[in-house]
Amino acid sequence: MLAGAAPLVAAIPLAGVAVGPSLARGARETSIPSGAAHSHAAMVGQAVPAPGGPHDLDDLLYPPPARPARAGQVHEYEISAIDRQIEVAQGVFFDAWTYNGTVPGPIIRATEGEVLRVAFHNGGEHPHTIHFHGIHPANMDGVFEIVNPGDSFTYEFAALPAGMHVYHCHSTPLKKHIHKGLYGVFIVDPPKPRPPAQELVMVMNGFDTDGDGENNFYTVNGRAFFHSRYPIRVSRKQTVRIYLANFTEFDLINSFHLHGDLFRYYPTGTTDRFEHTDTVMQCQGERGIVEIDFSHTGLFMFHAHQTEFAELGWMGFFDVHDGAPGS
Amino acid sequence: MSTDSVRAEAAARSPLWRLLALVPILLLIGAVGIFSATGSSVVDLVGVNPPPADELDIRRVEFRTDEIRVAVRNPQPESVSIASATVDEGIVPFTLDGPGDLGRLRGTTVVIPYPWIEGDPITVGVTTSSGVETVAEIAAAVPTPGVSGRSILGYALIGFLVGVVPVALGMAWLPSLRGVDPRWLAGFMALTAGLLTFLAVDAFGEGLAFAAVLPDAFGGLGLLVIGTAVSYLGLTWVAGRTARKTGVRGAPLSGLALAFMVAIGIGLHNLGEGLAIGSSFAVGELALGSFLIVGFMIQNITEGLGIAAPAAEGQRVRPGSMAALILIAGAPAIVGAWIGGFLTNEVLAVVFFGVAVGAAAQVVTEVGRHLMRRAAGGLTSGFVIGGFLSGLAIMYLTGLLIG
Repeated sequence: MLAGAAPLVAAIPLAGVAVGPSLARGARETSIPSGAAHSHAAMVGQAVPAPGGPHDLDDLLYPPPARPARAGQVHEYEISAIDRQIEVAQGVFFDAWTYNGTVPGPIIRATEGEVLRVAFHNGGEHPHTIHFHGIHPANMDGVFEIVNPGDSFTYEFAALPAGMHVYHCHSTPLKKHIHKGLYGVFIVDPPKPRPPAQELVMVMNGFDTDGDGENNFYTVNGRAFFHSRYPIRVSRKQTVRIYLANFTEFDLINSFHLHGDLFRYYPTGTTDRFEHTDTVMQCQGERGIVEIDFSHTGLFMFHAHQTEFAELGWMGFFDVHDGAPGS
Repeated sequence: MSTDSVRAEAAARSPLWRLLALVPILLLIGAVGIFSATGSSVVDLVGVNPPPADELDIRRVEFRTDEIRVAVRNPQPESVSIASATVDEGIVPFTLDGPGDLGRLRGTTVVIPYPWIEGDPITVGVTTSSGVETVAEIAAAVPTPGVSGRSILGYALIGFLVGVVPVALGMAWLPSLRGVDPRWLAGFMALTAGLLTFLAVDAFGEGLAFAAVLPDAFGGLGLLVIGTAVSYLGLTWVAGRTARKTGVRGAPLSGLALAFMVAIGIGLHNLGEGLAIGSSFAVGELALGSFLIVGFMIQNITEGLGIAAPAAEGQRVRPGSMAALILIAGAPAIVGAWIGGFLTNEVLAVVFFGVAVGAAAQVVTEVGRHLMRRAAGGLTSGFVIGGFLSGLAIMYLTGLLIG
C-alpha cells in the first residue's frame, strides 16, 4: 500500500517519557562556571533550575529531515490525546492534556503536495480534535467532528501550502484546551528543498500552574530554562534555521530575541520576503522561519524580550562552535 | 445509711467505675477504626474531596545583605514540597534551610541570594510542586536586624523606653497622690480600672489579629480564650492567697498588694505590646521613629499613675518595692521586644495576648472590689464613674499618638 512507502512515525503513547538514544547532534551538557549568584551567569549551565536530562527535548527541538517531493503519496502519522502530568519547571508538575505525551505535540512534517493521513485517537477524558492550519476541505478542519474520549478520527488532506504551520485542538472551551497543551507545529516543505541548514523547532508557550489565569512559567518546547541549562550546540559554518511558533495562552504576544547577531525572519515561511532583525514578536498561532548565520562563536543568549517571560523560564543559549555542523 | 458507709461503698465500687469510664474512649477508638478502614467511601456518597489547595503560609520575610530569607509553613493536612521561588515575578535560584517536603504544620526557610534594593516594594513567591504559588508583598524592603549584641541592646532599649521609663515616671505621682482627698484618690483608682479595661480590650484585639493569621489547625481563638482564662483564674488564686495572708478571707486587696496586682496586669500587657512592636519593626511593617516611641511613652506614663493610685492608699512604699513595681510593670516590654524581634511565633503571641487580657480583667475586678468596699459612695460615686471614664478617654486619646 501507499502507507508502506511512507515512514510511519512512531506514535507510541508516552513517547515523550521514554526518550530514545540521543541524536548525534543533541544538546550537550556544557561545563560553564555557575558564576555570581545573581548575574545572568547564574542562569546558564548546571546551576540553572531546569528539569530533566540534556536530551529529553531532542524530539521536539530537532525536526525530522525534509523528504523529496512525491506528489500524491501518503504520509501517515498517529496521534493520541493523553492526559498526563508533565514537569514544566524543576520540581513543578502540571496536569497537561497532550498529543502523544508531550507539550508541544510531535512535529508533523510533509512536503507540499504529499497526502497527510493523521490517525487521531482520543485517549483523554475530554472531547478533542486536531485543527490544522493550512489549506484543506471543511470536513478535515477539526472543528465540527468532535472526537469523544475513546473515539478516533482520521484526518486526510494534501499538505498545502509550503511554509510553516501549526495544529491544535479546537474543542471548546478553546482557551482551556490550548492552555492545557494540545498544540504543535506542522511544517510543509516546498517541492524545491530549502538550502541545507541546522534545523530547530521552537514553540513558545506558558503554563498557568495555579489556575489564576496568569502564566507561572514560560518556556520553549515545554520546560522552563531548559536550554539555559543545556545550551543548543550549533556550528558557525552553516545556517541555523528555526521554525518558530507561539502558543502562549493568556498573554497577547510572545517574542524571540537573539543576542550577538541578527537573523532573517520569514513570516509564516510562505514567501522569500524577510526582515533582517534581532527581535520578532508573534501573537498566538502566529509562526515564521528564523535563519541565523552566526558571525561569532561562543555563548549567545536567546529569550523573550518581554523580560518577565524571560525570567519566568523563556531563555536559553546557543553554544556556537567552529566545527562541522552536527559535531 | 451513715456517711462512712456511703464512702466505704463508693470506695469498693471505684475500681469498676474507673474501668467503666474507659468504655466511651474504647468505643470511640473502635468507631474511628471502622471509619478509617472504609477509606473515602463515606465521603463518596455525597461527592468527592477537592484536591488540596497546596498554598503555603509565608510567616516572615527577612532581608539580609544580598539575601532574602522566607520562612514558610504548610497549613494544610496534605504534605507539600517546595519547587520554585520567585522575586518580583522572576524565577530565582534558592536553597532551603530546612526540609523541602513539608508535612502538616511543618516549616522551612527558603534562602534566596538576591540584590534587593532598600526601600523598594518587593514581592516574593514560593511555588509548590503542584505549581501553586504563594506570594508575599512587602511594601518596602528594609534590612532585618539579626541577632547580635547591637540588636539585643537595641531591642532592650526600645523595651526600656516604652515600658520601664514611662512607668517609672508615672510612679513619681505617688507623693502628690498621698496628699489628695480620699474621694479624689478613689477617682484615680477608678481611672486605673478604666485604663486597664482599655488595655484588656486592646490586648484582645491584638490577640484576635494574631489568631487570624494562624492556620486554622492551631485554633487561634481557643488559645486566646484559654490564655485569658488561665491568667484570670491564676491571678484570682494569687489575689486570694495574698488576701488570706494579710487577714480576712475574701477581703479585697488594698494598698501595696493591690499595686502589685496592678503592676502584674500592666506588665503582662507590656509583654504583648513589646512583642508586637518588636515583630512589626523586624519585618519592616512599623517605622519605629521617635514620634512613635514618644507616643508609647506618653500612653504608658498613665500606667505608672495606675500603679501609684492604689499604692498611695497604704503605708509608705520602700524604694525596693518601688523598683520592683516598676520592673514588674515595665521590664516585660524588653522581653517582649526580644521575642518579637528575633522570633516569629504567632502561637506565642496569641497566648501572650490572651494572658494579658485575663490579667488586666482580673486586676479590674480587684480594683472594683476594693472601690466597692472602701470608696466613699462605692461604685456609684461620681468620682469613681468619672475616673473610670477618664481612664478610658486618656487611653483612647494617647492611643491616637501611636495609631
